[in-house]
Amino acid sequence: MSSPERLQSVRENLGAASNPLGMNGIEFIEFSTAKPQALGQVLEQMGFRPVARHRSREVLLYRQGEMNVIINAHPRGRTALGGHKDVPQIAAIALRVRDAAEAYQRALDRGAWPIESVVQPMELHIPSIHGVGHSRIFFVDRYKEFSIYDVDFVPIPSVDQKPEPLCGFQFFGIVQYIGAERLADWTEFYSQLFGFESVPDEQRFGIMPKGRVLRSPCGSFFLQLIEPEPDAWDVDNEECLQRMALSAPDVLGAVKQLQERGIGFTETAVVHSEHRGALTNTYLGGVSFELVHRDA
Amino acid sequence: MNQSIADFGMDTISLGGGLDVKLKAIREAGFSQVMLSARDLVQHHGGVDEAIAIVRDSGLRPTGFQVLRDFEGLSGHLHDYKVDVAKSMMEMCAALGCKVMLACSSTSQHATQDKELLVKDLRKLAMLAVPLGIKVAYEGLSWGRTINEYNTAWELVERADCPNLGLGVDSFHIFATNTSLEMLDEVDASKIFLVQLADFMWNEVRTNEERITTARHFRVFPGEGVHSQQLAELVLKLDQMGYTGDYSFEVFNDDYQAMPPALVARRAHRSATWLADEVLQRATPLPSQMRLKAR
Repeated sequence: MSSPERLQSVRENLGAASNPLGMNGIEFIEFSTAKPQALGQVLEQMGFRPVARHRSREVLLYRQGEMNVIINAHPRGRTALGGHKDVPQIAAIALRVRDAAEAYQRALDRGAWPIESVVQPMELHIPSIHGVGHSRIFFVDRYKEFSIYDVDFVPIPSVDQKPEPLCGFQFFGIVQYIGAERLADWTEFYSQLFGFESVPDEQRFGIMPKGRVLRSPCGSFFLQLIEPEPDAWDVDNEECLQRMALSAPDVLGAVKQLQERGIGFTETAVVHSEHRGALTNTYLGGVSFELVHRDA
Repeated sequence: MNQSIADFGMDTISLGGGLDVKLKAIREAGFSQVMLSARDLVQHHGGVDEAIAIVRDSGLRPTGFQVLRDFEGLSGHLHDYKVDVAKSMMEMCAALGCKVMLACSSTSQHATQDKELLVKDLRKLAMLAVPLGIKVAYEGLSWGRTINEYNTAWELVERADCPNLGLGVDSFHIFATNTSLEMLDEVDASKIFLVQLADFMWNEVRTNEERITTARHFRVFPGEGVHSQQLAELVLKLDQMGYTGDYSFEVFNDDYQAMPPALVARRAHRSATWLADEVLQRATPLPSQMRLKAR
């Protein structure tokens, strides 16, 4: 006799192929920096609160609402990243998936590069693959009944472990800078390995419309791929995860609140805060945040 | 340097001597690019990192990096082994700042002949190359087991449908198998990632053994062999199709490896000039004409 799941999949088209990993949003976004306190201050201004410390490394967990952001100041992580060592970089994205081991193996079978992780005794082994530049992509499946942070992190005493989000913020996506003529390559990468799909060119979010937007198979996370300007192909071909985008029901209200917390916004004739979105100033030589309107 | 031969380059395998000697000869003959092989780096007496630095400092642009052999169609531990080899090559290719890696069709008796599985492996190879910014040019070796002509190599490339997987065209293999150029009409010129040119001295090479021996020891530069007319037709055809990529002289020749590199490089330059000026008829404007235009 068929299992209930099998019966359901035979009776109805569940669209499993379009979400091959059972992706369900983002577990965390990780920054790497030699100046964790300075970056932590910017994150706090953006509404994140430090909630836990890693058991064995110089790694801090910040949180607001459903969003986890990790600041990794562990020297090994920074050396591996190379590039601009003084500028904080987005070093990793962790995808929530149905089965991390299965997702990892599926990615390797299709040509992903595995990353050997160095774990201390009793720490979790979270499988990961190479992403753009020096970044990595983790697969996490323990986010429902218990979390990965229960194992590897120690809560900071007397701190609310579930701080409310400022302005209703949620993860919206990541902007990725790509090299010249690399749009098709990266679209293929995210499509083949994770099931991301391009959204039509006429559909754009926020106020920064350049490049191509890819939607995660779970529909909750977006990647925006941006090529260099044609006249800068020779000098500006670096590929990296450039900035994080947060969604909010009331962007202009959020801009006002963040300004009161000391965050400045880009206000030029071309790029300025409006109902659809906003872009913060750049901090610490390379850290900015984009706000994108979300229907309440 | 003569700009009309800017898209022609030499291959290090044509020359004797160390890497620095080869690069110097190629540059001084008037070329701006060089096709490199993994052996150039690995066998360099100062090690791989030093070899990469020498190439980067040479002022020559790397045309491509060669060659991954017998990748597709294997299974189990053989497949895993080849994936490791491919990754190692890609890391060297990326370190050189080289954008194209050449993979030639499998000759292995251990490989499947199921085209679906060959396509699957080529897709995987292309995906491995994406994060490193490398394009894979897949070439049909004339003694390949399943794929031994450009048209069947193109069939796999088309079926794999990956943006960074394209076709490598080698005149030697086309002439060795007497493959018609007509089927190039089916090929999308923007998906030809590399063209390698060489001629040879015999009119026919009938068996696989003959092809292997000729390919590895008796190739000559375009215009020096007996297939000049066919070679000219191929280059003209590619040009008419809209191919705008590089042409590299893939000339394995034992005699050339025993001749002074500068002399061999001059022969290669003569060949490039023949192709650019006489075959493609690229007129280089005279200095006086350029001045007139500027006014």
